Amino acid sequence: MKNKIILFWIIVAIAITSVVVIMKKPTKLGLDLVGGSRLVLEAQTTDTIAKITPDMMESLLFAIENRVNGLGIAETVVQRSGERRLVVEIPDVSDLNKAKEFIGDTAELEFKREITKNGVPTGWSTTGLTGKDLSKANLSTNSQNGEWVVELEFNNEGTRKFANLTKELVGQPMAIFFNGDLQSAPVIREVIPNGRAQISGGDNGFAYDEAKRMVDLLNAGALPVPAEIIEENTVGPTLGADSIEKSKIAGMIGLGLVMLFMLVYYRAMGLIADIALCLYAIILFAIFKLFGVTLTLAGIAGFILSVGMAVDANILIFERTKEELRQGRTLFTAINAGFDRAFTSIFDSNMTTIITCVILYVLGTSVVKGFALTLALGVIVSMFSAITITRNFMYLAFGTGELKHPAMFGLSAKEIGKAHQVVETKRENAKFGILD
Amino acid sequence: MFQLNLVKYRFVCLAMSAVLLLPGIVAMIYSSITYPTHSPLKVGIDYTGGTVLQYGVNDEVSDLGVIRKDLAKADVENPYLQIINANSESAMKIKSIISIKTKFIDEKNNKEVDKITGVIQKIYPEAQLLQVSSVGPTLGKELFKNSLIALGLAILGIIAYLSIRFQFDYALAAILGLIHDVLFTLGVFSILGLVNDVQIDGLFVTALLTVIGFSVHDTIVIFDRIRENIRYYSKKMSFSEIVNFSVNQTLTRSINTSVTTLITLLALFFLGGTTTKDFVLAMIVGIMIGTYSSIFFCTVLVDIWQEKKIAQRGVKAGVKV
Repeated sequence: MKNKIILFWIIVAIAITSVVVIMKKPTKLGLDLVGGSRLVLEAQTTDTIAKITPDMMESLLFAIENRVNGLGIAETVVQRSGERRLVVEIPDVSDLNKAKEFIGDTAELEFKREITKNGVPTGWSTTGLTGKDLSKANLSTNSQNGEWVVELEFNNEGTRKFANLTKELVGQPMAIFFNGDLQSAPVIREVIPNGRAQISGGDNGFAYDEAKRMVDLLNAGALPVPAEIIEENTVGPTLGADSIEKSKIAGMIGLGLVMLFMLVYYRAMGLIADIALCLYAIILFAIFKLFGVTLTLAGIAGFILSVGMAVDANILIFERTKEELRQGRTLFTAINAGFDRAFTSIFDSNMTTIITCVILYVLGTSVVKGFALTLALGVIVSMFSAITITRNFMYLAFGTGELKHPAMFGLSAKEIGKAHQVVETKRENAKFGILD
Repeated sequence: MFQLNLVKYRFVCLAMSAVLLLPGIVAMIYSSITYPTHSPLKVGIDYTGGTVLQYGVNDEVSDLGVIRKDLAKADVENPYLQIINANSESAMKIKSIISIKTKFIDEKNNKEVDKITGVIQKIYPEAQLLQVSSVGPTLGKELFKNSLIALGLAILGIIAYLSIRFQFDYALAAILGLIHDVLFTLGVFSILGLVNDVQIDGLFVTALLTVIGFSVHDTIVIFDRIRENIRYYSKKMSFSEIVNFSVNQTLTRSINTSVTTLITLLALFFLGGTTTKDFVLAMIVGIMIGTYSSIFFCTVLVDIWQEKKIAQRGVKAGVKV
């Protein structure tokens, strides 16, 4: 008995810790609840790049991260997903189209020299001086006409290359291409040894936005491979907040109705199951917060579903116990037998649910992953709750002798009579040497 | 609780299952013939690829004709329009959600979204863009493949598990029960697809898998009980009587468990957000049919096969049964 009382207080301690965790730690909410955008980018092979290597993906990840950070929004996420994909999560973005274009922009800066045929310019050829040789880009204004310009600072290698190139091209135009578009082609007047250049916006000059965008893109770095958005899910903030409200209400009403049902059908045992159920919900929620599990709408559905299923273990045990009582066993033995016999069933059944959750987690999209994780955690914690919490409470409540009457378990008067009869018959038979 | 006499009405039970499955199967065949994609269910963008824009509107929308005309004028290619009625007590005061499905809008054509928003806002000025979902066509195919693999793996995993825990004909009965449940759920959603434009997405397959897990679990509990009762009562009762007895013993538990799970799901269905409504509905349908099949279908199968087995053994031993 002493062990059971110790266990009781351990359970209470866990419950209180859980409540504290719930109050202190923030809930991680998925984008479909907070509002925001989730993009999946896929690296594309091009004529020049035939295979996407892990190195390329790493530098792509880095470049995209820089850009996403450049948007200036808090709590963004950029992650690898599979061989050639990145997942980008941006909460709460006000101009999504601009953000998407910004992220996907290849941002290739190239310096080209003119090709002439018989003195007539026919095109441009690459010089090998690209955006990779930049150390920094700045937004500035042209001192002479006040227009916005993009100032470039090359790194050491770039400065050297640029100096050589300008030496070579004195008197000739040097074209600056951005994303394959010619930006400007100033004629080189002299060698530029200090590694600085300026891009001005053609005839009309850059608008502020244009220039700023180019500066941001250059600083973030060109993408090593082009990336396309293959999947998008954007939820506006109003829908998100509404979903949270609705889920909360649905969850509480669902929980309330289940508790009512248990109380009506199983009476005293039902009350114990209800308390265990509340504890289960609190502990599960605390675990979500502790492990930083991101709650999505489907995840919340999984949570609420697991509450309904958690009761199942309790029901299995109670029905078993009732049967043992009908057979005429004493309360204590009946409870023990109920738990033991029910355990294999509980374990088996939860196993199949966990198997499917594992498969869903591995093969599903992020929405499905959220559901699988909350359901699996819910099932595991519910096993613990039924076997530890419910059993402990039942021993404490019924073992003390106060609440021994079988009627408290929901046995009707008829059945109690029968139970006595069964006991009687067994004893009678035993007297005659007939053992059951 | 009331007593069921399954054995007496064995063939009635099988007939009931046939009656339950038939409309769904008919709907699926019809869909396969009439849908352009030849799929037995209406498929959403998760698998076909495309873009869905959802606009929340403060009025009740009943006629999509105007919107369709205006979108056509704006050169939007073949949009597929739907009205979803939001819960009226919603905090956003939104009465209807207009759902517009078009082919995949990639980032080079971002202005399409603005164009469509413009058209909607001309008709309903306070319309807000609630949600945008886009799936590229290759990704769609991949998701479909993954869903099939997930279903296949789950079924194989469960078959393996059942074969370990039970002898062959029990495992087979449980698997047939599983197929019975999946067929029924697919059938229901095929009908809903034809009647109510309900579409299949990744979450539907998730619901299907959850239902499979739950239904097998139910069946296992009953089979466990049959096995246990055989150990104690095989001398006193015939197999059929044991089956009857076991089902009645576990009846309360089966029904109560389903009731509690259904309570929470129904709360989610009526009170939860519109985004997960179809998902929750799939689980509700699946759990109801899962409970039914565990009680009335799998057990009856086991009973019929056992009888056949005994008859065969009797014949083999040269004894008339």
